[in-house]
Amino acid sequence: MSKLKLNGVSKAYGATLALRRGDLEIAAGEVHVLMGSNGSGKSTLCKIIAGSVRPDGGEILIDGQPVTISGPQSARAQGIGIFYQELSLAGNRSVEENICLAMLPVKARMFIDRAALKARAARYIDLFTGVFGDGFAAETLVGNLRADQRQLVEIMKALASEAPILIFDEPTSALDRAQVDRFFDILRRLKRDGRGIIFISHRMDEITAIGDRVTIIRDGETIKTLNLNETDPAAVIRLMVGGAGDMPASRSSAPAVASFATGAAMTVDKLSGAGFRNVSFEVAKGEILGLGGLHGQGQSAMLRAIFGAGAITSGGIRIGGDHFDARSPRDAIRRGCAYVSGDRGRDGVIVGRPIIENVTPIHYLRDRLMIAHPRSLKEKAMPALAAMHTKFASLLHPINSLSGGNQQKVIIARWLIDRPDVLLLDDPTKGIDLSAKADLFALIRQLAADGLGILLYSSEDAELLGNANRILVFNGGSVTRELTGEDRTRYNLYQAAYEAA
Amino acid sequence: MNVAISFLKKPLVIALLLIVALLYLGEGLSPGFASADQILRLLIVASLLGIVAAGQNVVILGGREGIDLSVGGVVSLSAIIAGNVMNGADGGILPAVLACLAAGAFFGLLNGLGVTLLRIPPLVMTLGMLGVLQGLLVVIRNGIPSGRAAPGLSAFVTQPLVLGIPGIIWLWIAVGLFMAFMLSRTVFGHRIYAIGSNEHAAYMAGVPVRRMRIGLFMISGMFAAVAGLCLLGYSGSSFANVGEQYMLSSIIAVVFGGTSLAGGKGGYTGTMAGALLLVILQGILTTVNIDESGRQMVFGATLLLLMLFYGRGRAMRA
Amino acid sequence: MTPTTTETLSSHAGGLKLWLERYPFLPALIIVVALLALNGAFSPNSLGYRSLTGLLSTYMALIMLAIAQTYVVSAGDIDLSAGATLSLVNVAIVVLMEKWGGGAGAVVGAMLLGVLLGLVCGVINGIVVAALRLQAIVATFATSIFFTGVALYVMPVAGTPAPALFWRTYGGRLLGLPFVFYVLAALALLLFLLSRTRLVTQLLAVGDDQQAAYQTGLPVVLIRIKGYALCGLFSALAAFCLTGDTASGDPLVGGKMTLYSVAAVVLGGSALAGGWTTVVGSLLGALTIGLVNSLVFFMGTPSEWQNFVQGLAILFVLMAGVLAGRRARA
Repeated sequence: MSKLKLNGVSKAYGATLALRRGDLEIAAGEVHVLMGSNGSGKSTLCKIIAGSVRPDGGEILIDGQPVTISGPQSARAQGIGIFYQELSLAGNRSVEENICLAMLPVKARMFIDRAALKARAARYIDLFTGVFGDGFAAETLVGNLRADQRQLVEIMKALASEAPILIFDEPTSALDRAQVDRFFDILRRLKRDGRGIIFISHRMDEITAIGDRVTIIRDGETIKTLNLNETDPAAVIRLMVGGAGDMPASRSSAPAVASFATGAAMTVDKLSGAGFRNVSFEVAKGEILGLGGLHGQGQSAMLRAIFGAGAITSGGIRIGGDHFDARSPRDAIRRGCAYVSGDRGRDGVIVGRPIIENVTPIHYLRDRLMIAHPRSLKEKAMPALAAMHTKFASLLHPINSLSGGNQQKVIIARWLIDRPDVLLLDDPTKGIDLSAKADLFALIRQLAADGLGILLYSSEDAELLGNANRILVFNGGSVTRELTGEDRTRYNLYQAAYEAA
Repeated sequence: MNVAISFLKKPLVIALLLIVALLYLGEGLSPGFASADQILRLLIVASLLGIVAAGQNVVILGGREGIDLSVGGVVSLSAIIAGNVMNGADGGILPAVLACLAAGAFFGLLNGLGVTLLRIPPLVMTLGMLGVLQGLLVVIRNGIPSGRAAPGLSAFVTQPLVLGIPGIIWLWIAVGLFMAFMLSRTVFGHRIYAIGSNEHAAYMAGVPVRRMRIGLFMISGMFAAVAGLCLLGYSGSSFANVGEQYMLSSIIAVVFGGTSLAGGKGGYTGTMAGALLLVILQGILTTVNIDESGRQMVFGATLLLLMLFYGRGRAMRA
Repeated sequence: MTPTTTETLSSHAGGLKLWLERYPFLPALIIVVALLALNGAFSPNSLGYRSLTGLLSTYMALIMLAIAQTYVVSAGDIDLSAGATLSLVNVAIVVLMEKWGGGAGAVVGAMLLGVLLGLVCGVINGIVVAALRLQAIVATFATSIFFTGVALYVMPVAGTPAPALFWRTYGGRLLGLPFVFYVLAALALLLFLLSRTRLVTQLLAVGDDQQAAYQTGLPVVLIRIKGYALCGLFSALAAFCLTGDTASGDPLVGGKMTLYSVAAVVLGGSALAGGWTTVVGSLLGALTIGLVNSLVFFMGTPSEWQNFVQGLAILFVLMAGVLAGRRARA
C-alpha cells in the first residue's frame, strides 16, 4: 500500500494555474524524486502536502485513507515533515531552538525543558558532525550562519519531525559535496526505516545517486513516473522539456566570433567586489558574451555591481571609452546601462501597479519627465511591448494579472523605450515558459544586431550555448575559462564549471 | 453580478454608501442633522482632517512602514506660529502661510532624514519628533502671547466664499484635485506607488528612493501646517495641543479610504471619503443624547466594525 | 533565497556583537548609568535612597506598561490600547475597593478582578488583530477608544480616592524595606519565569518570520492572542502600581502612557519589527524616560524649556536605541 497518494490535486493563484493536475504515489521506503523545470509546480505540490497551501481540488490519501490537511499543524499531526526551499527558520533563535521549534519540549506544561531540548536537538546536529564547518554550534543564532549551514538546520528541523513522510524541496542547493554525501547517508537510513521521501533537486547526479523513482512534472501537470534504474537522464530531460526537446533558441546557434568592427561596448578590467574577484573582459558592440558556471559563482554579484547595486572594491569599467563607475542603479541607467534580473519578484515587478507604470520607469528617468501623460506614454510603451510579443488586455491592468513570462516581458520592455548601450542579463529566463524564452532570445539577438553589447548569465547551459558568441566560465568568484568557437560545447562548459568546485 | 459585487467592495464606494447611511441615521436621530448648514459645518471639520490626512496618505503610500505620528504636533505648532505672525491682522496672512509651510517642511525634513539616513523606523522617529514638538509648543506658549487669527483667515474658513461654500472647502477640493493629479499623472506620483509596492524594484529601476521618502515626509509636514493654519482660522485663537486629535484620526481616515498601511496601494479620493465618514460619525455621536462614555464605546466599536469592511490582512495559508 | 558567495564570505559574530547578542539591553544599561551619574552630578541628593525609591515607585507603572508592550512587540504586533487598559483597570479597582469597604479582602478581590479585566482587554485585542486580521495600529487604537469609554462609564470624573490600605502599602515599607523593592523583586522573578516559557520563544519565532512560523506548524493566531493577553495582564499590573502611586482613579490617566511605553521598548534595544526583544531593556527604557525627566529638572532647565529638552533627549536616545539594537543584529 502506498504511504501517500495524491489524486488530481490542483491549485490556481488568481488567473495563474500553478498546479493543473498533480498525481503522485509515494511508497514506504522509497526516495521519490520530483523533476520539472522552474515554475512547473513542484513547490506548490509540496506545499499542498505540507498544508501551507490550500488545494483547489483533488484528494490526498495517507496509508490508503483519504485525509484533509487543514494547515501545517495538521500536516505534522498526520505524519508529514517538510524541508522548505525558502527555509522556515527564525533568524534570531538558536540552532537548537529552531530544530525543535514545532514541538518545544516542556515541563510543568509551560516551561521549556532546556535539557530535553538540548538533547533532542543534539541528536540531529550530531548527524552532521564534521561537515557543518566553522562557526556552527547548537547555541548559535541561525541568522549568524552561512547559507549552507542554514540549509543544514532546515534539514535537521525536517528530520526532527520524525515524520513517516518527509518532503525535501531542493535541500542541497547550497551544500558542498561532503554535506550532500552525509545527507544522502541519512536518507538511505530513513529509507531502510520505511519512510516515504519526496526529494527535489536539479542536479542529475544527485538524483541518480539517491532516487528510486522519479515523477516528471511539466507545466503544472505530473506527466509520468519512472523507475530510475530503468531509465537514463536523457530520457528524463526529454520528458521534462516536452515536445520542444531542444531550446528553441538553439535551433540556430550563435556565430562563433562575428566580426565586431564597431569596437568595444564595455571593457572590464581586473574588477573585484563582494563575491567576485579579478574579472577582466571586453564586450564588443553587437556581441553576446555569456557568463557560465554553477549557480552563485559570482556572475550575479558582478552584474549587480556593474549596475551600481553592489560593492566594487577595485578595478575599472569603461563603457564606450568613458570611465564608468555607477554609484547606484540610477546612475548606471543614466549612463546607458540596463539590467534585467531573473528574480522578478524582488528586482523587477512593481506589484499591484498597472502594466503601463511597469514599462515606463526607465523612460521617466532617461527623459527626465515630470508629467506622466497617458497618451504619449502609451505611444512609447506599445512598440516596446509589441517587440516582446507581450500578451495583455489593457495597459491599465495590474501587472500581477499576467503570467510569469509576460511579466518578465514587461520588465524587459521597459529597457526598450530608450535604448541602452550595454544590457546586463542576470538569468533573465528564470521560471518563464518556453515560448516566452524563445521571444526573449529572438529579441536579444536583434538587440545585439542593433549594436548593443550584451552580457548574459544563465543558469541553463543550453541558453548560453545557443546564444552567446563567447562564454566566460565562473568558478569561485573568478573567470576560470573562456570558451570560444568550437570549444563552446556542453561538455567543456560542465567540465569548467565543476573543476575543483 | 460579479462586477456589481466588486464595485461594491471598492473602499471608496463603501465609504460613500456609509456616509449616506450615516446622514440618514443622523437625520433620523436628530432632525436637522443632514440640513445644508449642518453638512457644510461637517465639511469644514472634515476639510481640516482631510488636509492632514493628505500628507499622512502619501507617507503611508510610500511604504516601508511609513507613518507620521508627528502631524498632530505640527498642526498645533503651525496654529501657534500663524497666530503670532498674523496676530489678528490680515496683512500677516501671507507671511504666516510662508512661516507655517517652512516649519512643516523643516520638521518633515528631519523626520525624513532620520528615517532614510539613520534608518530609524518611521513610527519611532515621528513619535520622538512628536515629543520634541510638544516640548516646543510649551516653550513658545510661555515666551509669547498666544496670537489671534486674522479676520480674513477666519472668514476664509467659516464664511461662504463662492457659491455659498466656505473657502476651506474649496481648498480641500483643490487639495483633492492636486493629489489626484499628482498620484495618477505625475512621475513623482507613480514613483510613490513604486517605492511603496516594491522598494527594491523601484531602486533597480532608478527611482531615487531616499530623496523620495524625505520628500514624502516634507509633504506630510506641509499639509499638517496648512491644516494648523486653517484650524486657527476655525477656532479664532490657538490653544494647547489643538492638533493632537489629528495624529491617529488622520491614519484612520487613510485606512477607511482603502489605503493599505503596508504601502503602495490606495489613493486620496478614498481618504477624503474616509475623513468625511469619520467626521460624520463623530457628529452623530455628539448629537445624540448619550454621555461621553457611551459615545466613546460606540465610536470605538463602530471603528472596529468599519475596519472589517476594509483590507483585512492576508490569511497565512495561500 | 538562493545562496550566493557574498553570504558565504560574511564574517561570524565578533566580540562586541556577541555581547550585544547575549545582553541586548547593554546600551540601555549604559544610558541609565550615565543618566544616573549626570543626575548625581547636578544634584547629589538625587542619588539618595529616598529619591531613587521615589523614582522607582513613580515609574514602576511605566516599567510594567513597557514590559506589557514588549510581549506584543516580540510577535511583531503593537498595542496602542495598553494605556487605555491601564486606565480601565485603575478606575475599576478603585471603584470596587471603595464599594467593598476598602479592607484587605476588598483590595485582594478587586486586584483579582483587575487582572481578569486586563486579560479580557488583551484577549479582545488579540482576537481583533490576530483572528480578524485587522491592522494592529488602527485596530488597537479603536479598542483603546472603546476601553476608554468603558473606563468613563465606570468612573465619569477623575478623583475617587483609593483606600488608604492600598496606597499606604505601596508607598510604605515592609520589614524595613520600601514596598516597591518587593514589587521589583517579584517582577524580576516573574520575568525570569516568563523568559523560560514556551510561549515567549514562540512569540519571538512568530515575530521573526510569521510565515515561517506558520509553515513550521506553530498555531500563530493563538500565539499572538496569548501575546496580547500577556500584554493585558501586565497593563493590569501597571494599573496597580499607578493606583498605588497616585492613590486615586482617573479614567484618562493611561492615555498618554501608551506612546511612552512604545518609546521605552525601543529605547531598551528591542526591534519594533519583532523577533528580537528584551524585557530588561524595556524596564531600563522606562527608567531612562524617568531619569531624563528628572535630569532636565535637576539641571535647572527653565521650566518652560523642560518639555522641549526632554523631548529632544528622548528622541536622541531613541535613535541610539535603534542604532545600537541594529548593530547587535547586523
